[in-house]
Amino acid sequence: MLIEFDHAVVSTPHSQALRGVNLTLDQQRVGVVGPNGAGKSTFAKLLNGLVLPTAGRVTLDGLDTRHDIKAIRRQVGFVFQNPENQIVYPIVREDMAFGLKAQRLPAEESAQRIQASLDGLGVGHLADRASHTLSGGECQLVALASVLVMRPALVVFDEPTTQLDLRNRNRVARAIAGLEQQAVVVSHDLELLQDFDRVLVVVDGQIAADDSPGPALRWYREHCA
Amino acid sequence: MIEPLYIKGDRWLHRLPAGYKLAALVIAGIGLFLVQNVWALAAAFALSCVLVWSTGVGAAACWRQVRGLVWVLAAIGVFAVVFQGWLSAAIVLLRIAALVGLALAVTLSTRSSDLIAICERALSPLDRLGWVDAGKVALALALTLRFVPEIWRHYQEIREAQAARGLARHPLALMVPLVVRTLKRAQQVAQAIDARGE
Amino acid sequence: MKTQDTVLIALFAALIVVLSLVPPIPLPAIPVPVTLQSLGVMLTGAMLGPVRGGLACSLYLLLAAIGLPVLPGGRGGLGVFFGPTGGFLFGMALGAFVTGWLARSWVRAPGESVRTVLAYGLACIAGGIGAVYLIGVPWLASVTQMGLGKAMMAMLVFIPGDLVKVAVASWVAWRVERVWPILRESP
Repeated sequence: MLIEFDHAVVSTPHSQALRGVNLTLDQQRVGVVGPNGAGKSTFAKLLNGLVLPTAGRVTLDGLDTRHDIKAIRRQVGFVFQNPENQIVYPIVREDMAFGLKAQRLPAEESAQRIQASLDGLGVGHLADRASHTLSGGECQLVALASVLVMRPALVVFDEPTTQLDLRNRNRVARAIAGLEQQAVVVSHDLELLQDFDRVLVVVDGQIAADDSPGPALRWYREHCA
Repeated sequence: MIEPLYIKGDRWLHRLPAGYKLAALVIAGIGLFLVQNVWALAAAFALSCVLVWSTGVGAAACWRQVRGLVWVLAAIGVFAVVFQGWLSAAIVLLRIAALVGLALAVTLSTRSSDLIAICERALSPLDRLGWVDAGKVALALALTLRFVPEIWRHYQEIREAQAARGLARHPLALMVPLVVRTLKRAQQVAQAIDARGE
Repeated sequence: MKTQDTVLIALFAALIVVLSLVPPIPLPAIPVPVTLQSLGVMLTGAMLGPVRGGLACSLYLLLAAIGLPVLPGGRGGLGVFFGPTGGFLFGMALGAFVTGWLARSWVRAPGESVRTVLAYGLACIAGGIGAVYLIGVPWLASVTQMGLGKAMMAMLVFIPGDLVKVAVASWVAWRVERVWPILRESP
């Protein structure tokens, strides 16, 4: 998808989370780094309208987040930082079906897509498990599967590995690397982003650096460590 | 984490449609209050025991459901004997026990999902009128079932954390963190639901 | 009703379940160990307001009615609703609504701590005790053919425990609302 930020500003009564972001993203893998509170999460949430710009606009393939939110959310999936708070139904399979409901598929196709989505991430065996018995990493993979089952064009990740242990972090990292879809990943995990096409460094609500991973991460390490 | 009280089985009580059982229960409820004959009430109580037994419930499970009521009945019984006499006491106790027994038999022999289906049917005219959003009700029910084990786990975590700090392991001291985390969780879950469109 | 409201209703119903299942706590000078069920109901009303609070409590009751062991002691099912204490359950749904209504009307912006806690306290007493007993006691009286006065006297033993819960609920509601204000924006 072609993502365009046109002088996008996000301000609250107390502060400016993002000031005047102007850029175009169309790379397959885009990373976003920055210190805590810099505005990375806000930046990510602008992509699916969870946050709307208070001035300026954000468009995806020409769709404006302020007007075409439903159409955008059909094409943009979002994976959050907290693994367990994304799974909404008591059984994994039910949760995945929840996302598909709007697409009104016949039951058999729905079931096939759900199983395929889980299998693709190596968690096919979790389909009938109770959600509360999943580990953090399993939650995150199931959450990703729930997003992918809707066949989005773009997946946005907001610190997907921050709450995971090393093994689960690796599983999710592999899953992200293997995604067909375009991905924008906000992360503190710099290793995750080193093979990406482009990395943005957000500091104090602004894009302080915008380059390929090598130079951008070097800048980040020099100025924000 | 929460296991339904339903006992899997194939006896005739299990196979009776849930709607009929509920209707019968309501009628029995009204009927039992109109009856004043102690023998009839004793027979009703005996019938309710048979029905509960016929569901195949284990003694421990049954006792757990009845335990609280036994104390209440004892207190009521003593009170009734002192102020109203043995016969009146027997009538009151048998009536309560019979009704609670019948209700228990219905619960043990009826799937939760069947009862939910009845609720859905009851709500659907309101849904069509636009007063109630049946989809949201179903979502709320699922969310509650989904998160009871997580909130319970969080309650245990806070208890341990406070014990480790040497604070009194009193449940009342855990309330603020428990409520705050629940509010935070609500915000995150709502965002996750919104992000998935409808 | 936004998604956020639906989720709050569901999660507070879950909170009431968890609090109901915490083992009863013995309190000094109080003859009966107290369960935290009514504490959950009062908190739900105080934090979510009348509509969301009432719906959350109703959802909790629905879970019990369909046969889940969410009442104190792992009880559940239709038995309790048809027994002598059934009125107290229905009273709780009304209680959450009343507590929420009064809390929303009386609690001003945080700052005046003593006044705010007292406002919550009165709201909890009116809802968590008043409304609950308003339905529970006559129900008990008619099921047991005890007479209203005697039924009320029988329930007096629970009042001290309930007052402790009112104090806790008010304090917790005040503390939480200060850092996470949601009552003021409730429908």
